[in-house]
Amino acid sequence: MADSHEEHGSGVSGGQYLGPTAHTSEPVADPHDDPAYVTRTKFLSGVAVLTGAVMGAAILVPVVGFAVADTVKEEDWRWVDIGPLSDFPEGVTSVAVSGPFPESDRRAFIRHQDNSIIAIWNRCAHLGCPSSYSQGSDSYTCPCHGGSYDSLGRVIAGPPPRPLDRFDVKLVTPAGQDVAKTTSPAEGVSTRGAAPDSRVLVGIAFSIDEDQNPYRLHGPGEEVTGVLANLYPF
Amino acid sequence: MATKDIGPKSPLTKTGEAAVGYVDERSGVTTGAKWFLFRNIPKETSWFQTLGFTAMVLFALQAITGVILAMYYRPDTNGAFQSIDHITNEVTWGWLVRGMHKWGASAMIIVVFLHLGRVFIFGSYKYPRELTWVTGALLLVMTMFMGLTGYLLVWDQKAYWATVVAVNITASAPILGPYVADVLRAGPEFGPDTLSRFYSIHMLVIPGGMATFIGLHLFFVSKLGITEPPYSKRRMKVERQEAEARAAAEAERLPYGRRQVTAAPGATPSTPAREEVRS
Repeated sequence: MADSHEEHGSGVSGGQYLGPTAHTSEPVADPHDDPAYVTRTKFLSGVAVLTGAVMGAAILVPVVGFAVADTVKEEDWRWVDIGPLSDFPEGVTSVAVSGPFPESDRRAFIRHQDNSIIAIWNRCAHLGCPSSYSQGSDSYTCPCHGGSYDSLGRVIAGPPPRPLDRFDVKLVTPAGQDVAKTTSPAEGVSTRGAAPDSRVLVGIAFSIDEDQNPYRLHGPGEEVTGVLANLYPF
Repeated sequence: MATKDIGPKSPLTKTGEAAVGYVDERSGVTTGAKWFLFRNIPKETSWFQTLGFTAMVLFALQAITGVILAMYYRPDTNGAFQSIDHITNEVTWGWLVRGMHKWGASAMIIVVFLHLGRVFIFGSYKYPRELTWVTGALLLVMTMFMGLTGYLLVWDQKAYWATVVAVNITASAPILGPYVADVLRAGPEFGPDTLSRFYSIHMLVIPGGMATFIGLHLFFVSKLGITEPPYSKRRMKVERQEAEARAAAEAERLPYGRRQVTAAPGATPSTPAREEVRS
């Protein structure tokens, strides 16, 4: 029945009028309907945001760089002349300054024993307080939290996670020719046959483990061996 | 009772009212002040809720005494301790102002922690006051950082080595710790730059941040109002009613055991089936 209705062309199907109408509106192409269309307002807002970002960066980048960049630079180590070999007689632990800042609180215990010199940094491996040497027990102790080290700086007691750090040592002639260099942290620099007026130079600092194997310099509180050493990858 | 507001006003009152009116018409400051000051507060509000204001007053004390101390203090490694000595022993009332700043700092830490504990125990951090808590937590961090940076400025042995230890604790944080410590001490070692950096952070960076966050904190407190204490009679009544309603609802929902089911005559009084409970 429905088919016969359509054949008649009555224009009525299910109550909706489908016949010819007086006016059919054509679809109008309005670019604003496209969400990707850039209007003047959108363009100017974008320009304002971009300009603000560039101006903000122009101020912030130099300021932050100025405040931070120099502080995280690698330290510039150099050899520091701490005096002639005769100042450091066999069997005596003495104190000298090292590092690039002469005014800094870095102190080295220059230990001359069995014809060999090692330089032990007094910075406690726990949290950086100054350790002191005691002649009687031939050991180092830190006043802050009770860290205690033996004659070679290895931990005896207290919280330090690793031995005291060392400085590299070498001997040169007064003219500046190398006489002897540190062969290994355990052996130090040999003074056998060196002239008493040879100059003792103290250089870059490094960390050691309990067996006196060298590692790059670690900060106080950092482990050099074991699982926790992985916490400080840089 | 005699009516007093009749007759011509005194010129002083007129001038004052005109001045307030002039500012208010252009800024709406009276509305703002009333919104901030004349709020409804719960019935059992007590001295416990005054700790936050106390902390703010101590901040103001620190700001004022700090500004005065900065007029005499010299942030360089050679002059710092001498200038502290000069303030304490030579400047008129210098001992008093420095003492106020020093003891005010300790008092502020104590009061801030009491305030924190009050907010925690009263449950005042709960919805909708989470952002008040967050801004307060940031204020706590900044207060502690003020303590750290201010401690170094005395530049005596105790100040120096205590701060060395504190910065090395920072450095022992994993991965980024060493860098944060380098930025704090302006290099690998404590030196002149460390002192002036701490001074700048102590007197410029953190106070600005703290003032901003105190403003935000106060805005949230004003907007959201303060909470009833947990021992409030009204709140306890509401909570008791809620607990009873919750218990009743649970009893409705529980299939077994909780609720006595009226059994049909002759039926076994054993565990009822789920459908029976629902009916």
